[in-house]
Amino acid sequence: MSFNSMIAMFHVDMLSIIMISLVSFIGIVVCFFSSRYMKGDALYRQFFIHILILLIAVMLITIADNLMLFLSAWCCCNLILARLMVHKSTWKAAKASGRLASRNFMLGFSFMILAFAILYKATGSLSIQYIVHNSNDYWATLMALILLLMGAMTQSAIWPFHRWLISSLNSPTPISALMHAGIVNGGGFLLARFAPLYFSVPKTLNIIFIVGLTGALLGSLWKLMQHDVKRMLACSTMGQMGFMFVQFGLGFFASGLAHLFCHGLFKAYLFLASGSAAQEKRLDLGYPPDLISFLCALACGALGSYIFAIINHKHWLRLDTSLIMIGIVFIAGAQLALTVLRAASVKKFLLAMITTAAMATLYGANVYFFDLILSPLALIQPQPLTILHVIALIMLSLSWLFILFFKSSKNKDDLSNWFIGPYVKALNSSQPHPDTITSYRKEYEYVSGKIHG
Amino acid sequence: MYQEKSMVNLETKENHELFNHVDSIIKESWAKISPFWPLKNLIAVNPMQGLENLPIEEALVEGAVFFEQKEFPKPMALINRQTIKWLQAFFDEGQATIGMPLRKNGLYNAWKKLAYFDKQIHGGDCKKKQWLLGLSKSPETAITACLLKLNIPKESQSIFMTLMLTTLPGWASHIKYRTHWTEGESLHPHPISAVDYIAVRLIITSLLWEEAAELIQWHKKAKELQIKKISPIKVIEKNETDYLLPLLNKLDDQKTGESTISDAQIVFCIDVRSEPFRRALEGQGQYETFGFAGFFGIPVRIKNSITAEIYSSCPVLLKPQHTVNESPFSSQICAQDHQGYQKLNTLKALYQSLKYNFTTSFALVELLGFAAGFWMALRSLTPMLAIKYRRSITESIRPNVAVSPLLENIAFSDQCAFAESALSAIGLTKKFSPLILFCGHGSATQNNAYATALDCGACGGQHGASNARILAKILNTRKVREHLNQAGIIIPKATYFLAAEHNTTTDEVEIYDTDTHDIAVEKNIQQLKDDLKAAGNLNNQQRSKEMGFNADKNKSAKHTKLRSIDWAQVRPEWGLARNASFIVAPREMTKNIDLEGRAFLHSYDYHQDLDGKILTLILTAPMVVAQWINSQYLFSTLDNVAYGAGSKITKNITGKIGIMQGNASDLMSGLPLQSVYRSDKEAYHETVRLMTIVYAPSGFIDKIIEKQTVLQKLFRNGWVLLISVDPENTNHHYFLDRDLTWKKRKKS
Repeated sequence: MSFNSMIAMFHVDMLSIIMISLVSFIGIVVCFFSSRYMKGDALYRQFFIHILILLIAVMLITIADNLMLFLSAWCCCNLILARLMVHKSTWKAAKASGRLASRNFMLGFSFMILAFAILYKATGSLSIQYIVHNSNDYWATLMALILLLMGAMTQSAIWPFHRWLISSLNSPTPISALMHAGIVNGGGFLLARFAPLYFSVPKTLNIIFIVGLTGALLGSLWKLMQHDVKRMLACSTMGQMGFMFVQFGLGFFASGLAHLFCHGLFKAYLFLASGSAAQEKRLDLGYPPDLISFLCALACGALGSYIFAIINHKHWLRLDTSLIMIGIVFIAGAQLALTVLRAASVKKFLLAMITTAAMATLYGANVYFFDLILSPLALIQPQPLTILHVIALIMLSLSWLFILFFKSSKNKDDLSNWFIGPYVKALNSSQPHPDTITSYRKEYEYVSGKIHG
Repeated sequence: MYQEKSMVNLETKENHELFNHVDSIIKESWAKISPFWPLKNLIAVNPMQGLENLPIEEALVEGAVFFEQKEFPKPMALINRQTIKWLQAFFDEGQATIGMPLRKNGLYNAWKKLAYFDKQIHGGDCKKKQWLLGLSKSPETAITACLLKLNIPKESQSIFMTLMLTTLPGWASHIKYRTHWTEGESLHPHPISAVDYIAVRLIITSLLWEEAAELIQWHKKAKELQIKKISPIKVIEKNETDYLLPLLNKLDDQKTGESTISDAQIVFCIDVRSEPFRRALEGQGQYETFGFAGFFGIPVRIKNSITAEIYSSCPVLLKPQHTVNESPFSSQICAQDHQGYQKLNTLKALYQSLKYNFTTSFALVELLGFAAGFWMALRSLTPMLAIKYRRSITESIRPNVAVSPLLENIAFSDQCAFAESALSAIGLTKKFSPLILFCGHGSATQNNAYATALDCGACGGQHGASNARILAKILNTRKVREHLNQAGIIIPKATYFLAAEHNTTTDEVEIYDTDTHDIAVEKNIQQLKDDLKAAGNLNNQQRSKEMGFNADKNKSAKHTKLRSIDWAQVRPEWGLARNASFIVAPREMTKNIDLEGRAFLHSYDYHQDLDGKILTLILTAPMVVAQWINSQYLFSTLDNVAYGAGSKITKNITGKIGIMQGNASDLMSGLPLQSVYRSDKEAYHETVRLMTIVYAPSGFIDKIIEKQTVLQKLFRNGWVLLISVDPENTNHHYFLDRDLTWKKRKKS
């Protein structure tokens, strides 16, 4: 193989750079963390070697242009991850988690092989860059895009491929951090890589939107219901991945990548800090709010969303999919203002406005930054607003209001009776796979052999 | 606990007998379970507490049969998973935003309503659903119905119920804590009774495994197999001999001399971590140190006047009698502090309001992503810098302010009684130094779910400074001193009492110099501060060595500090690992011996205890606490999964109350692997029972044991070894035998 053909197997662009920076940053932090956290572990050395291979594989994925190289790196990355998840194979439940994840990855892998085969057949090329710009066969492209989407869904734990992720918490904490910050993002990266093709078949964007929304709502609901810190974080990841897909589905791939990046950092931190969960005291947020503060909060939210729109050169109320993004800033702004306004006074109203404005500026600048550096890739193409989007926006708002007004302690008991059935159903559906639960205490076998002191 | 009973219509005599029977077997089955405290105050407990009425050899076998089994009848796995699911939901103290409904009705009644909708339990089977619906409101009646449905013969009902508990021992332990050990606390909004849980567990079992009676056979078989296995007692006994005989030899070489008045007297907790520090401090100057239970005999609840938080600060065996408010000195500082506290809370509320809601959490990650990344890198790569930043940020919002206890809630007569009993308990009734320091202790660790396990056990898993401050303030009160004068304890006017706290992770001692005092003692205080610092540095070097880090004083000090502030550290300090003995003696007897931080030291002068009251107290309170601690370390080391918590690496905090392993598991009671093991393979703690050495004649001790059934149980069953060293007869040691007679052993 000549040097040139070697080089031709790679393609480095801003997307690769963003992914590499994220993964290597988290990789370094996790390694430093683990160097103390894992001390005394029988598999200490092996652990770091595996992480190193994993990081190399992920980097390869992000710069690979050749389909075969991409697939091999993808496969290697997932296999190593499954191995790291198990860590001590004497522990049956951990092994089951690994098996479950492997099966899921294999499924995703088959979707991808199929998709790639179709694309290869349609274009005759193994180069991803060539394919995304030259795939003209409508049906083949559509097929491939749907298969790729399914592949992405398995990797990013989008419903109904989420079970492996919420059953993955038998892993050592640093591996969970790495996984939730790095590996689950693979799905997002995959979609972003093929974004030009998705733009060429806009219908697929709606599918991404719908599966994303399902994942986002379900993940959020489950997250709010979990009783242990790690499963809560896992369900939250599921929801956040769903939201990333939602952004993709709106035609805002750059914003989705911004979300991917920030969520990665945030979730890695939360996992590493999960040992402090018991010390975090939950505060009474004063729900439900009174009407006046609520209206004031809505005004602040409007201000926030306006600032956000201006920063990102979006029209405040234009009827395209950017409306959903602005809607979310509006809700977040109103929520923040509401917390400031708990005591409801004019002086606080000013403070609430400032807080919301600062939030919107930060949020807007963050999205703007990613839009800017990713602009050569043309990853933002707002789509026309449809009834689907309106329904979604209503659902996002109603679910927010539900927590605000109905979950409060005062009227909870009146609600209880209709609430119980769905509650139990949701609780049951968010349980990890039974084989991955340590049903008997002694089944937990982390150290092989019994040692006497 | 059994209030529900009154609601049940007890019509026939037969019914009545049935209820009595159920009541008594419920009590019997809970007796095997030891309590386990939640993460907010982890108290060391003997995981075999329920078996202490057996000789330890038998208890080890019995414990293995109940808690160390690896093979179970298959359906039990399903039952356990469903139980864990609902217990996680019920015992959640603030993790979930949408929590389990109806919890205020208590476990049984709340769960019964929900279970009707739980397909994982009844599988959608209409008959089972009807049966569930038809169950009585009274858990006792439901228990009877289940026993009937499962066909458990009357003579096996007790063991069957015990097995229902011991097959998920950690969760049972938490429930035992809630039902048997929280009387002094304010009423919990989600009530639970011992009957409730058994009812729930039996109903789940009845629905998922019709042939559950097989469990009894399984247990019998496990018992037969276990008897053939080798007991760990031989290893334990050998470890004890190897430790004890050289120690006794060293103790024999010590002589008591007439002591002069020292520059300062410092009273530490009996905690084994005090010992090396005391030795280091004594080497710095004319200091006399004492060992006393770290709550200094002040059983109180402490209430923070700013945060309104309230907690008991005394051994869990005692019920606090008073609530003492702690508050900043002036009302102006108080107001400022309150404002700072509110500001911090608002910031936290902003974060939580975005995080724990739909939709808004998507915005939150983008807002905080970069900050979280930066902060995570800082904490992992340069923990020192991270902690410095965090401190300066929180202090700029809410500056640290000194607090002082308000004694108004303790009656004057009680104050005098506390003062008098504290001083006489350690024999500090004459020869007072100009400066007397009560030094409580607490730990300082980061990101550590087990943080409170390193705090003061005598203060109920809290820091000990508050109690020290109360006692110092009492003893600085002129009227109290006048009262003590009458009782024959004459404290010189110039003597000043001070409170302090020993940070057991870093060996820093913070002095709370709050009362008004003469300028003359100012110099002494400064000198003491310097010497405490020097002692800390010396001890840092020693503890670094134990951690496998050999270096000079400066590097060791840095290393120690780093362990304390590092969020990735799983062994910030060794805690009470390697604890072995409990020495009740004047300090002169142990002063010149390196006890390696393995001994609880309680100051005691037999000559000042004619009626044996003080020794009775020492043996029945601090020694029992020491035995709990010792047993927890012993069993967590023996089998870290059955009695300990497993590795910290895969831990998962549930409901903010306890640890599970991975996705879900039994509640992992006991100490984590990293607290007692150097590595996966090498134990750090040495498996020995508590060896109590008392400097008093054996006949004198006998009189105390005769009256105390607790002591008889512990000594007769071999849970604690007792050795008497007679101050008058210097030729022999006396070992207490299991039949409670003394065996002479000639000193070598």
